[in-house]
Amino acid sequence: MTVQETISGTVPAARFGIGGPVGSGKTALVERLIPALTARGVDLAVITNDLVTIEDAERLRRSGLIDPDRVSAVEAGACPHTIIREDPTLNIEAADALERRFPGVELILLESGGDNLASTFSLDLTDFWIFVIDVSGGDDIPRKRGPGVLKSDVLVINKTDLAPHVGVDLARMEAEARAVRGGRPVLMTDCRHGEGIDALVELIETQVLFRK
Amino acid sequence: MLRVHGILGRADDPEVHAALHRLEHRDGIEYLFVPAHEAGRKRFRLTTDRGTDCAVSIDRDQALFDGAVLAMDDSRAIVARFGEQAVWRLIPRDTEAALQLGWHAGNLHWRGRFDGEVLEVLLDGDVDTYRARIANLIDQGLVRDA
Ligand SMILES: Nc1nc2c(ncn2[C@@H]2O[C@H](COP(=O)(O)OP(=O)(O)O)[C@@H](O)[C@H]2O)c(=O)[nH]1
Ligand SMILES: [Mg+2]
Repeated sequence: MTVQETISGTVPAARFGIGGPVGSGKTALVERLIPALTARGVDLAVITNDLVTIEDAERLRRSGLIDPDRVSAVEAGACPHTIIREDPTLNIEAADALERRFPGVELILLESGGDNLASTFSLDLTDFWIFVIDVSGGDDIPRKRGPGVLKSDVLVINKTDLAPHVGVDLARMEAEARAVRGGRPVLMTDCRHGEGIDALVELIETQVLFRK
Repeated sequence: MLRVHGILGRADDPEVHAALHRLEHRDGIEYLFVPAHEAGRKRFRLTTDRGTDCAVSIDRDQALFDGAVLAMDDSRAIVARFGEQAVWRLIPRDTEAALQLGWHAGNLHWRGRFDGEVLEVLLDGDVDTYRARIANLIDQGLVRDA
């Protein structure tokens, strides 16, 4: 029995936030997500936030992974969290502009400028957001219970390939992350070798794009 | 999965209310309980009290509200219900305490509102984790529960 299956008019694109400390691999993850999502036929656009440059946007535009026009840059000019939480107007305008320019776009990825463990996204800006930390930051990060670690819809622990080199007990780090998050999703990735990306794409397809 | 987009109406709107009342007799109303801290979402997937998996989106300029009717036909309606927003009410002892409390609450990015001399903190989690952040103010007697 279905109540309402057909949806009239256009449905706004889903907005997906990617936060986390500087260097944890947010852009590397975007570089993995773009081809994986494109291969599944997802119509995509990207917004990057940098402090006072458009470095990450330039990197993505040059990557050849996506039409460069589909990458927008917003400069924070202040602590990156100010434009994803306190006043996300600039990012909302950038997302609205992408939706106007590319009708039919289904998903907008928004990479925040690197921030501290307290950063979170406003629900006015993103529908779903993930927080990316990395193994080399230390296995005590989840234990420190920053709001980003606790409140994100998915916690991604990246650079699993580096665990043996930095003396991190990966299983323990994952277990502690799961414990502080009360059972909400934790994913392990290695963006250097493309490991763990499929699990995140699967989650995006079900929880964000409602494809299955 | 039931995919719904947009809000059809308000449960307390007289016309909608009459339609819901008819469905009620057929046990046709399903509630989607939205946790208070999730209420700001414009897109989410949640299961109703009767087990229907709902994939919901609303327009960017819409806001979900308690009693929003998300779907309705002859046999069934789906109505959003908000869990009660947990609030922590705090009274500062004097002006100095009020300044300190306001400064901390701002720095901690607490969601709050004012009720005369009371600061109402809108809780997104356990009150004890909030209390721990201003334990020094409470211990010094500068701030107490209202
Ligand atoms: N070994 C390893 N290096 C990674 C991984 N992900 C990202 N990096 C590297 O970490 C550095 C920072 O990555 P970047 O994506 O720019 O981080 P961002 O600041 O969070 O956007 C770069 O040198 C990446 O090549 C990973 O999974 N494994
Ligand atoms: Mg980056």
